[in-house]
Amino acid sequence: MESTKTTITKETKNKIQVDYEGKLSTKERLLNKIKASNTWITAIVNVFKFILMLGVSFVIIYPFITKIAGSFMSPNDLADVTVSLIPRDFNIDQYKYIIQDNGYFFHIDDLGQQHLGAFFHTLFLSLICAAIQTMVACLVGYGIAKFKFKGNVAVMVAVVVTMIIPHSALQLAFRQHFISFDIAHVMSTGNMGIIQTLTGGKNIELINTYWPFIIMSLGGIAFKNGLYIYMMRQFFKGVPDELEESAYVDGSGTFRTFVQIILPLSVPMMITIFLFSFSWQWTDQFYTNLFFEGADAPWTMPKIVSLPASLEILYTGHPVLKMFTTVVENTASLMIILPLVIMYLFCQKYLVQGIERSGLVG
Amino acid sequence: MSNNVKLTTEKKSPLDFLKHIFRRRASLDARKARAGYVFVLPFLLGIVLIYLPILIDSLWFSFSQISATSDGTGRLNIVSVGFENYVKPFNTPGFTEALLAGLQQLLFEVPAIIVFSLFIAVVLNQKMLGRAMFRAIFFVPVIISTGIMMDFSAGGQNDMSGAVGGETNSGTGEGGASEIISVLDVQQLFASMKIGGELVTYVVGIVNNVYNIINYSGVQMLIFLAGLQSISPSIYEACRIDGATGWETFWKITFPMISPMILVNAVYTVIDSFTRTNNPAMRFIQNAFALQPEMSTAMYWMYFLIIALIIVVVAGIASSFVFYQRKD
Repeated sequence: MESTKTTITKETKNKIQVDYEGKLSTKERLLNKIKASNTWITAIVNVFKFILMLGVSFVIIYPFITKIAGSFMSPNDLADVTVSLIPRDFNIDQYKYIIQDNGYFFHIDDLGQQHLGAFFHTLFLSLICAAIQTMVACLVGYGIAKFKFKGNVAVMVAVVVTMIIPHSALQLAFRQHFISFDIAHVMSTGNMGIIQTLTGGKNIELINTYWPFIIMSLGGIAFKNGLYIYMMRQFFKGVPDELEESAYVDGSGTFRTFVQIILPLSVPMMITIFLFSFSWQWTDQFYTNLFFEGADAPWTMPKIVSLPASLEILYTGHPVLKMFTTVVENTASLMIILPLVIMYLFCQKYLVQGIERSGLVG
Repeated sequence: MSNNVKLTTEKKSPLDFLKHIFRRRASLDARKARAGYVFVLPFLLGIVLIYLPILIDSLWFSFSQISATSDGTGRLNIVSVGFENYVKPFNTPGFTEALLAGLQQLLFEVPAIIVFSLFIAVVLNQKMLGRAMFRAIFFVPVIISTGIMMDFSAGGQNDMSGAVGGETNSGTGEGGASEIISVLDVQQLFASMKIGGELVTYVVGIVNNVYNIINYSGVQMLIFLAGLQSISPSIYEACRIDGATGWETFWKITFPMISPMILVNAVYTVIDSFTRTNNPAMRFIQNAFALQPEMSTAMYWMYFLIIALIIVVVAGIASSFVFYQRKD
């Protein structure tokens, strides 16, 4: 080494200072950097992008901010023009009474009996549906993606068709079919289905049970299941065939290969689909309205959206009662999504990962 | 060696022969095909045993008159009435208008959502400050803006901002949108520039609906992001070495490579937009369901046919622009 024109001094644990002959001062180096026109443009573009993203994020977040702010207010705050986001009369009455009166955790029916409330019913229903749907999507997606059999294309077309025929168009038939359930039963022919023929015309009513959801999930025809199957198929198409071939050569059967090699690979994708189907079932209103009705119906999330009786009594005749009702309903909506948000925070990184790996390319 | 062979042949009993017949080794392809059927079996059963009967019955109901029987069993009395349910809606006031409004919303939303989600996906795909946070925020609507929450985010949001802001802005009738972006400003800005009226209405419409458009772009954004991730970085590198600017890179590389995703997204957005409950046509038909379920079902089928036609047209147009990278 030359006579030490270069000195290295250790400033802190992770920082060193290097001095050498002809080194420009910090100020000069900064100036040089600024003079390069490229830096300016990049900086401006980056700042612009950041602000834009911040703005769009704000649009997404803002309704939640207002809802959260409103959830801690009393009607007096709503009537007060000077209160905008920070409540003056801070209280948690809305949460308290929604849990108490609207049956969030435990629901008390007209006879005074306590049942499990909206949270548990929706949780069970969503867990069951999401688990079954994820599994079925995996199986069917794998079958379509990796095996050449007669009617392979037809199955894919069927998947797409179930995706685009709106279930609202079928709702009447759906209801009728689960009021008296049977398989392979076309009502319009007037014949009995397979189960009825075997049991001698016994009527099986599945309304107000979880069975309609379970049966539809098992058959891969529940809400948006076509999308899940499609996503799974795209994912499996991206898995190289060599992986399975080497397993076959080693003597592993098709199903063993699937369980021991393919499934562990697809965990991020499965989490993504589980997350989708769980949260879409959680916020679902269409099917719960369709299959649950009357006093026997399981108490699910949509039912907690109303003004709790205690609050109604407390504020009868208040000038802003109508507005307050909206605010309380929004608070209820916050309580519906709170478990989802918590789950999302944990699974968020898998969601992006799963989607990125899926390479959803045509 | 020859001894061994003899031994095995001697062991063959009639039972073994039967076993051999039943477990005749099929060719690898045939066995794989059989495994394929087993994998898609749940879906096949679901389709054949449950979905198809429901589909057929739904069509049948749409050609029938349904009334409850008076014997108290809750059984339905179904009489075929031909095309009556398909003709009646056009005499119902509001149906054609709702249908047109629904289609208008579709035409308005689909391009806006696709352009917006592509733009955001491209930005989110680059390295930037706080990218992880932005990604987390942008995918919140995917999880949350569905089902019952849609009623809140669409209708409720405007009431809400008005409600929390006190009585101050509820008089202007602008609702929540006025707090995010002043629509009047945009209107004035565009009115002072001499641009055609339709464009002004369109832009103002987008600004008014910015909340909805952002909220409905979640899945599309995910799909675009996945597509962008699958483009090989070496292509961009080669492009940079040849001296292409960012703008050129986008139009010559990113856009063609992402075009299959645009097709997928266009179709998905059309489906999503027309099955959404806040679509005017959907809302009208759903309201009719309470009164005359069979007519409402017929309306759904008509609506579905129109949309299916649109999907075919959109897919047809888009697929002629789509560039498929040849796989090696």
